[in-house]
Amino acid sequence: MRMLLAAATLLALLPLGLPPYAMTLLTESLILGLFAMSLDLMVGYARLISFGHAAAYGFGAYACGNFLLHTSMPLPCAVLLAGLLGGIVAIGVGWVCTQATGVSFSMLTLAYAQLLYAVAFKWTPVTGASDGLAGIPRNPGPFGLTWSGKAGFYYLTLTCLLGTFIFCRELVRSPFGAVLRGIRENEAKTTALGYNTRRYKIAIVAISYGLAGLAGALYAPFAGFANTELLFWLLSGQVLIMVIVGGAGTLIGPILGAMFFLYVQQKLSSYTDSWALFFGVIFILFVLFLPEGIWGLVRSRFMRKTA
Amino acid sequence: MALLELDGLTKRYGGIVAVDHVTMRIEAGEVRAVIGPNGAGKTSLFHLITGVVKVTEGSVRFADQDVSTLPAHVRCQRGMSRTFQLTSLFPEMSARDNTRLAAQARDAKRWMPLGGASVFNGASQRGDLALERLGLTHVANRPAGLLSHGDQRLLEVAMALAQRPRLLLLDEPTQGLSVEETAQAVEVLAGLFSSGDLTVLLVEHDMEVVFRLSHKITVLHRGSVIADGDPDTVKADEGVQNAYLGGFA
Repeated sequence: MRMLLAAATLLALLPLGLPPYAMTLLTESLILGLFAMSLDLMVGYARLISFGHAAAYGFGAYACGNFLLHTSMPLPCAVLLAGLLGGIVAIGVGWVCTQATGVSFSMLTLAYAQLLYAVAFKWTPVTGASDGLAGIPRNPGPFGLTWSGKAGFYYLTLTCLLGTFIFCRELVRSPFGAVLRGIRENEAKTTALGYNTRRYKIAIVAISYGLAGLAGALYAPFAGFANTELLFWLLSGQVLIMVIVGGAGTLIGPILGAMFFLYVQQKLSSYTDSWALFFGVIFILFVLFLPEGIWGLVRSRFMRKTA
Repeated sequence: MALLELDGLTKRYGGIVAVDHVTMRIEAGEVRAVIGPNGAGKTSLFHLITGVVKVTEGSVRFADQDVSTLPAHVRCQRGMSRTFQLTSLFPEMSARDNTRLAAQARDAKRWMPLGGASVFNGASQRGDLALERLGLTHVANRPAGLLSHGDQRLLEVAMALAQRPRLLLLDEPTQGLSVEETAQAVEVLAGLFSSGDLTVLLVEHDMEVVFRLSHKITVLHRGSVIADGDPDTVKADEGVQNAYLGGFA
């Protein structure tokens, strides 16, 4: 708890001392952190490997973009509504995908993402096809707040991230979270104990997708546009890498993983176009030597082990 | 009033009849063993009762209700708790968390996504009590995967017990144990059953274990019941001698 307060305070004070470019980068890393954390709920706590998490992210971005372009809905409301909508749609996705387990489950999530990707190219009135949605505004309100400045938008993102983190942490510590861990360790036994594991899996898919939608909904007004790249499988793979590099099953780890990913990408891409190649090497090193990720390293080095 | 009634229960896999018109009644408070040679259909019978596989023919009545078509987790909610022939635990969780998660399954608020301290408290209490009854309190905080094989077998029984089941189904509880471990486990189980508050259906290979623990024995051979009765009657039965016991008694 004290650590959380300290981290929140630090993040809240950062806008005072950072140059605009760094602010932009930090905001983006928080959005990606939120995205990665949402995936961690599935990957780290229920061992459900989503390989199509970009579907939820892109969905949230397009939904929020449309709300902001076509209505005067205040920015925070549009963001929340897009996330909620993503979660509701994901109940159906979860229902279908959880018919399968293991690799087949991952392939089904990928199939959904690719389906959405294809739809985005054709459904011009809603998605703008290959042009995407441009000029997405940051509608003012509520309570007379405006979001056009960097700091304002940063604080909105930070609030979403902290709120989601607290929600997720409570979720994984709850009776529901205990059942998820049961599913992760031994699903057959969890069923035999009398849990309807399918329902728990659908629920966590919906929650995870909803939160990924929230992240996407923040991205659209942050960047001012939404395009099909937000639905592409490459992004699904990248966010999975952020979770693993940061440390799956820790919630904080994936946020650090997202920051690390973005930072390394920025640094490397200023030297070479094939930055992904080098990041691939970093990823392999992590998997081989630091399977518990950045946060696992921090925990074992600087903290006494807690359960 | 019988707690469990099987009537003409049959399972066919294509041309193979795994369980063939089994009819059986288990009274509340009874400890019943089902024995039979390998492939006699013991585990298939277990799967039919607990709902892991679908019934081809016949019915399963539990506590006066037909449960033949209910899925496994619903039958478990109605009060059937089982163990597996091959130990099935949550290896990275502590023994205590294993029994807690088992007990939590019987709480109406088991799914609570936020808070839930009261759910955990109740479940921990029932879980700890079950650990105590099986003499596992001293290993409660160890990860289940690091316990000795004998303790793992007993932990699985403790998990089932933590659910306060109306019917406890044990699938070969001493499977894979050494002679000493078996003797210890049997003593613990005998102590547990002597309290008389449990109804138990036991599948077991080891005849000494069966005769020590059960009140009544049902003998399966090629999917059908060939004998049924108290241990002495079954021992004396000629058909059983020929089919299975091979002069054991």
